[in-house]
Amino acid sequence: MFKKILVANRGEIAVRIIRACKELNIPAVAIHSDVDANAMHVRLADESICIGSHKPQNSYLNIAAIMSAVDVTGADAVHPGYGFLSENSHFAEIVTKNKIKFIGPSAEIMKKMGDKIEAKKTAKKLGLPVIEGSEGNVKSVDEAKKISSNIGYPVLIKAAAGGGGKGMKLVRKEEELNDSLILAKQEAKKYFSDDSVYIEKYFENPRHIEVQILSDKKTTIHLGERDCSVQRKHQKLIEESPSPVLEEKVRQDLLNKTVNMISKLDYEGAGTVEYIYDKGKFFFLEMNTRIQVEHPVSEIRGGIDIVKEQIKIASKGKTSLKQSDITFRGHVIECRINAEDPSKNFQPSPGTINVCHQPSGFRTRVDGAIFQGCRITPYYDSLICKLICQGRDREEAIQRLQRSLNEFVIEGITTTIDLHKKILSHKKFINSDFDVNWLARESFY
Amino acid sequence: MKIDKKIIDELTKYLKEFGLTEIEYGDGNTKVKVSRSINVSSVAPSEVKKKQEIIESNGTNITSPIVGTAYLAAEPGGKKFVDVGQKIKKGQTVMIIEAMKTMNHVPSTQDGTVSKILVKDGEPVEFGQPLISIK
Repeated sequence: MFKKILVANRGEIAVRIIRACKELNIPAVAIHSDVDANAMHVRLADESICIGSHKPQNSYLNIAAIMSAVDVTGADAVHPGYGFLSENSHFAEIVTKNKIKFIGPSAEIMKKMGDKIEAKKTAKKLGLPVIEGSEGNVKSVDEAKKISSNIGYPVLIKAAAGGGGKGMKLVRKEEELNDSLILAKQEAKKYFSDDSVYIEKYFENPRHIEVQILSDKKTTIHLGERDCSVQRKHQKLIEESPSPVLEEKVRQDLLNKTVNMISKLDYEGAGTVEYIYDKGKFFFLEMNTRIQVEHPVSEIRGGIDIVKEQIKIASKGKTSLKQSDITFRGHVIECRINAEDPSKNFQPSPGTINVCHQPSGFRTRVDGAIFQGCRITPYYDSLICKLICQGRDREEAIQRLQRSLNEFVIEGITTTIDLHKKILSHKKFINSDFDVNWLARESFY
Repeated sequence: MKIDKKIIDELTKYLKEFGLTEIEYGDGNTKVKVSRSINVSSVAPSEVKKKQEIIESNGTNITSPIVGTAYLAAEPGGKKFVDVGQKIKKGQTVMIIEAMKTMNHVPSTQDGTVSKILVKDGEPVEFGQPLISIK
C-alpha cells in the first residue's frame, strides 16, 4: 500500500479522498492556495502545504508547485480528484515520470478519451452506439453541408478538444452553417489551440444517463447507471440511480456494452461513460477518466467505496471485486448544494457561513467541506456540499431528501437548498417527466 | 389571507435593535420572515468612504456589483474593455468580475470619459469597491 498520498485538489472532493486515506491508514497531504489556509481539507489532512495564490493557475493548476509539494512531503501517490488537473494527461505523465503513482488511468488513455473525435471512434469500434455525424474533423463548409443535410437539421458543431460548451455551436438551418463553422473553429483554436471540429445530430430534449465503472485492466465491473437529467447550462444539479425511465432490457444492454468497451481499453481505476438517451435509445457522448461529483449515488446503491477502490487498484494493480459482489439496493438521489442564488439567475453567493447545521439520520449522507465560520471565497467552483439520500424506492428517497433539506441550516450565504425543495415537490420531477432542458423552461421563482 | 402589518413592523424593529439580517416568527400556520441586506466589505467602512470621497470629487465611480476577481480584458493580453481618456456609453462593458467560475460583465452606469482605472488586472475586488471613475 502507499506510504503517503498527496491530494491535488480542494473542497468537498479533497475531504472525500482524505477520509478514504484515513480509513486505509495512509497519511494524507493537503495542498492549498493562500486563501484556503483554513479550509476543511487542510484541517483534516495529516500534513498541508501552501502552493500558491488564490488564482487556480498559481496553485491548484500549478504543476511545478504540486510536484515540489510531492517532493517535500515524500508522497508516493497523487490523487487528482475531479476538475483542475484530473484530466490533464500532461500532469499524469509528469507524475508517472517522477516515479510517483498517479491514481487514475494512464496518460495515454486520458489523452485518447480527452480528444472527442478519437473517443467517439474508439467507442464506435468497441460496439457502442454513437450519435450520427461526421467521421472526424470537418475541414470545409461543403463537407459540413453534405454531412448536415444527410443527418438532417438541427446539428451541433463541437470542438474535438472541447469542454464546457466552448467551441460548441447549434445550427438550425443550412444558411447558418457557414458562419457557425467559422466561429466554432475560431473558438476551438483560441481555447484549445486545435481547430478540429466535428458535426453531430442535435437532440432537442434528451436525458443524460451515465454508467459508473471500475476496472483493473483485466476485470471491469459496473456500479449501475445514474440519471443526471436535472441540469442547468450543462451543470448537473440532481443525480439519481437507477434511472426512473430506463426499461430493464435497455438498462442491461447499456451496462453490458459499457463494461465490454472498457474491458478492451486497458483501463485502470474509476471512470464514467456518459450517454444521451432519447426515445428509448442511448448514444455515447463522452468518457470521464476520473472520479465524478455524483459518485456517492453509485457508492450507496452498490455498497462500494469507490475512492478506496481507486486507491486499492492503483496500489495493487488489481481489484478484488467481481460483478457478482455488487448488489443494488433501493433508490438513491443526490442534490448539489451550491453557493448561488437561484432567485437571482444563479448569481454566485460567496461569503462567510455564520450558522451551519447539516442534516443527518437514517440513510442520509452529506459530503461537503463546510463548517460554521468557514469562508466561501469567490475564486473556485460554487459547489459547497452534496446531500445524498437512499430510500427503498424513489418516493421514499424523495421524502427523505425533503426531510433532510428542511433540517439543513446555512446562514450567511444563499444556496440552492430552497430550489431543491421546490424541484423535489414539482409534479414533473415526481413523475420523472423531465429532460436536460427542463430546468431552463420552468420558472421556480 | 390577511397579513398583520403590526407583526412585520415589530419584527423590523427587532432587526435593527439586535443588528440582525433576518428574523422569522411563527404562530400556528402563519410564518412571517423579515430580512434586510447588509453590504459586507472587508475594508473598514471609513476607509472606503474616504477613498470614494477623493475620487468622487472629480467624477463618478462605477463600483463592483459582486465579490470576485477583476479582469480589464476578455482574455489575457487581449484588448482592454476601456482605457483612460476613452469616451464610453451607458451600458457598455467596462470590466469583467469573475466569481465562482462565472464571468459577470460590469456595465457603465452613465455616459462619460474614463478618468481613472482603479484596479489592476487580476486583482481581487470586494462588493461596492470602486473600479473606474468617469468624468
